Amino acid sequence: MTTVLKTESLRKQFGELTAVDDVSIEIDDGDITSIIGPNGAGKTTFYNLLTGVLQPTAGSIWLRSGDGATDDGGGLREITDAEPHEVAQAGLSRSYQITNIFEGLTVRENVRVARISHERTRLDFRSRATGDEAIEADIEELLELTGLTDIADTPCDTLSHGEKRTVEIALALAIEPDVFLMDEPTAGMNPTEVTEIVSLIRELDADLDATFVVTEHNMDVVTDISDRIVVLAEGSILADGTPDDVLTDERVTEAYLGSDSV
Amino acid sequence: MSLSSLVPLIGVSDVVVGLSLGSRLFLIAVGLSLIFGVLGVLNFAHGGLYMLGAYVTLAVVTGVIDNFWIAALAGALAVGVVGAAIEFAAIRPLYDRIDADLDQLIVTFGFVLIIHETVRFVWGSGSYSVDPPALFDFSVSLGGSTFGAYRLVVIGLAVAVLAGLWLFITRTYFGSLVRGTSSDREMASMLGVDVPRLYTAVFFLGSVLAGLGGALSAPLQSTSPALGDQVIIDAFIVVVIGGLGSMTGAFVGAMLIGMMQSLGPQFISAGSIAIPFLAMVIVLLFRPEGLFGGIGE
Amino acid sequence: MSATDTGGRVRKFGSAVADGWTRERFGLLGALGLVLLAFGPSFQIYLFTDFLVVALFALGFNLLYGYTGLLSFGHGLFYAGGAYGLAIVLRDLGPVFADVVGSGVAPLVTFVVGGLVGLALVVAVAVPVGWLSVRLEEIYFALITLAFGMIGYSLIIQDPAGLTNGTDGIIVLLGSVDVGGESFRIGARQTYYALTVVVVLAAIYGVWRVVNSPFGTVCKAIRESPDRAAALGIDVRHHRWMTFIISAAIVGIAGVLRAGLASVASPGLTHWSTSAVAVIATVIGGATYFSGPIVGAFIFLYIRWGISRFPTLDAYWELFFGALLIGVVLYFKAGAVGGLLLLRDRLFGEGRAGGDDGPTQGGGGAAEPGSSGDRADDRGDDS
Repeated sequence: MTTVLKTESLRKQFGELTAVDDVSIEIDDGDITSIIGPNGAGKTTFYNLLTGVLQPTAGSIWLRSGDGATDDGGGLREITDAEPHEVAQAGLSRSYQITNIFEGLTVRENVRVARISHERTRLDFRSRATGDEAIEADIEELLELTGLTDIADTPCDTLSHGEKRTVEIALALAIEPDVFLMDEPTAGMNPTEVTEIVSLIRELDADLDATFVVTEHNMDVVTDISDRIVVLAEGSILADGTPDDVLTDERVTEAYLGSDSV
Repeated sequence: MSLSSLVPLIGVSDVVVGLSLGSRLFLIAVGLSLIFGVLGVLNFAHGGLYMLGAYVTLAVVTGVIDNFWIAALAGALAVGVVGAAIEFAAIRPLYDRIDADLDQLIVTFGFVLIIHETVRFVWGSGSYSVDPPALFDFSVSLGGSTFGAYRLVVIGLAVAVLAGLWLFITRTYFGSLVRGTSSDREMASMLGVDVPRLYTAVFFLGSVLAGLGGALSAPLQSTSPALGDQVIIDAFIVVVIGGLGSMTGAFVGAMLIGMMQSLGPQFISAGSIAIPFLAMVIVLLFRPEGLFGGIGE
Repeated sequence: MSATDTGGRVRKFGSAVADGWTRERFGLLGALGLVLLAFGPSFQIYLFTDFLVVALFALGFNLLYGYTGLLSFGHGLFYAGGAYGLAIVLRDLGPVFADVVGSGVAPLVTFVVGGLVGLALVVAVAVPVGWLSVRLEEIYFALITLAFGMIGYSLIIQDPAGLTNGTDGIIVLLGSVDVGGESFRIGARQTYYALTVVVVLAAIYGVWRVVNSPFGTVCKAIRESPDRAAALGIDVRHHRWMTFIISAAIVGIAGVLRAGLASVASPGLTHWSTSAVAVIATVIGGATYFSGPIVGAFIFLYIRWGISRFPTLDAYWELFFGALLIGVVLYFKAGAVGGLLLLRDRLFGEGRAGGDDGPTQGGGGAAEPGSSGDRADDRGDDS
């Protein structure tokens, strides 16, 4: 197994509060790793650190570089101080817990924005946005893959919650990430939608050469999809291992029962 | 010839003029800063409300009762009512929008136009002056130059307003609600604060301050329909430099700009009126929270 | 498409319009209208020229507001930049050009060079001003652009370099061209109108291309959600900076035309109250549509003209626009273009799907008209 994403002693403090405390983790290529933990355990802060939205107080973040550049001798490049767009360009993509898509655009336009970004035609002022045949073909393929073809020309603000969550995933995938961070993919979904999203994630994992990191509250989903589970509590790693190991760990049960949420 | 002619750069009168200009700027800006600090609304119409305060004072002095202080109070309260009405009718519906900030700025800009034209309709395009209260209607000689005693009174009034506001915010129950709501609106709401009502109340208070500023400054300026447009820009400069939302920041920012306006032309002639705007740009870029951040500080 | 089928004759009429009256025919009709107008009463030519200039001013402004979500209160700076660039070249270099190219065509050459200098000046100012301004967002962006505009205003009226002639401004004399015994004044109403039509239509087309390019598509996404755009690898600040420069350049072109039309480059152009004209026109027309600022400028100038016909009301025209502005923001953010599209839906049934030129604004609670095809539709009167 090769490491695609690594943090070393990552820490984030907000004044007195330490939201992420000395987290060192290595994510293996091709895995689905779930990061779980009670509310306030630092999951979202951790994601924001990884994606450059927040700057860490201490520690470093490393990502596998597609172009062979290496800062540590092991094929990883440091992205600790990178801005969000640089992180995305380096191959780390994310979806959001609270749906964050381009609401006023259609599904197809949403995906087109991501493809334009990926194909680096962002600063092309003169061509027609819809004129690039390769991009249009890629869009179709991605819509097909995520099952959005039928609603491709619907403006996103008229979609159902479940459909919006799927667009969220399609957007993140459209920039062909090496690592895909999913923040609560099933948030606010009904059971049918949850089933659909889970099978989508399984499909994507099988079809794509990407590594998934997922935070999730729904433990059924977590046990269903994960190759590995990391438990965060109060900003630090409490447990780390296969689903069977982690879920039978007493400390984990305690951490969960000690809080209100499961 | 006195000492000041030997030291031509800074005379006592320049300092007094600077402080009184600063005091006037503080009276213009403090309500704007309060409203922004609590509601997050940048009220473009604040200069218009200030102007309205001056006009109402003028109307009361000439038409109802020849007592400056009563007239000023009437002006402040009338403007407070107008401000509360504006908040209730046109700003409240916008708080939950994604673009709330900009929509509110545009709506309040609409009121700039409305207040301007209303004032012109009622009082005409000419300019008026208001006499200072009789008690202070004399001149003072200091350091070889002469100025109206009311300039000194305005400096005292500005300090009094700052002190009063500070006591109000830090020592009263209402003040604690205001501070709580400005730091975390949702939390305050969950704790049972009627946030919309509090917002209207703060907007009322901020508007009263605007009206009071216009009323108290009326003897120092000529009151015409152009007044609102002039002062709103000064107010923006002051609150940005002092820190949007900060009372003491507004005071210090106002004094800085006042002194700059009074002393600046003697040091720099070319481009001197650009300097406050340049200062505004620099503060926005390097210290957007202002030189003194935070409400009640 | 969500619009309901109204059925019957109306529906048929609607599809007849859709089938028979293509975009090209509407374009031809518009062009014919523009030509006919040149033979109308002199004042009407002037008013329409004025409208075209303000429309371009607002369109340039809205590139930034409608497409990336940044509200500038300082675009008067670029409006004035174009005007002063032209005015200074005409004043100081007119004789030089007369020596070089001969006095016959010199006025025209000077005008063109002056316009280009104005444009270059605006871009030179917009590059650093934009770079600094896009570091801020929302209210802070509005404030910093207002401050930059007022710095320009201060410098123009205090005139430290002796270039701008202080508060009086600079008179702009366009002169007459003599070619082969024929002579015409560039500033003559019909001539200047024709020139304005050509320049403004070309500029609008340019903006339309930008808006529909990959760059413009990314801008729309930034408008909708800047952090989402960044998470897809888009450098939001850089994009906003580029948009700022293009937006300023378009406004600069409008400023050049303004100076020629008004025969003066005056400091008032830099004042924030001039910048506010672009805000008013854009919001009234509908910032979410490509054609919104153009329609808004039309309403602004023609209603103002209408009001001016009644001397008692004339003095208070701002009151009307203040109320209109508030009404639109509060109750119908889609603006006049949104209203027209809604009306078209009511009359003709289902709207025709159009291009995808319109950014959309995420203002919750704002009224939005019917279908997506409408929302992104661009069929406002470009002419």
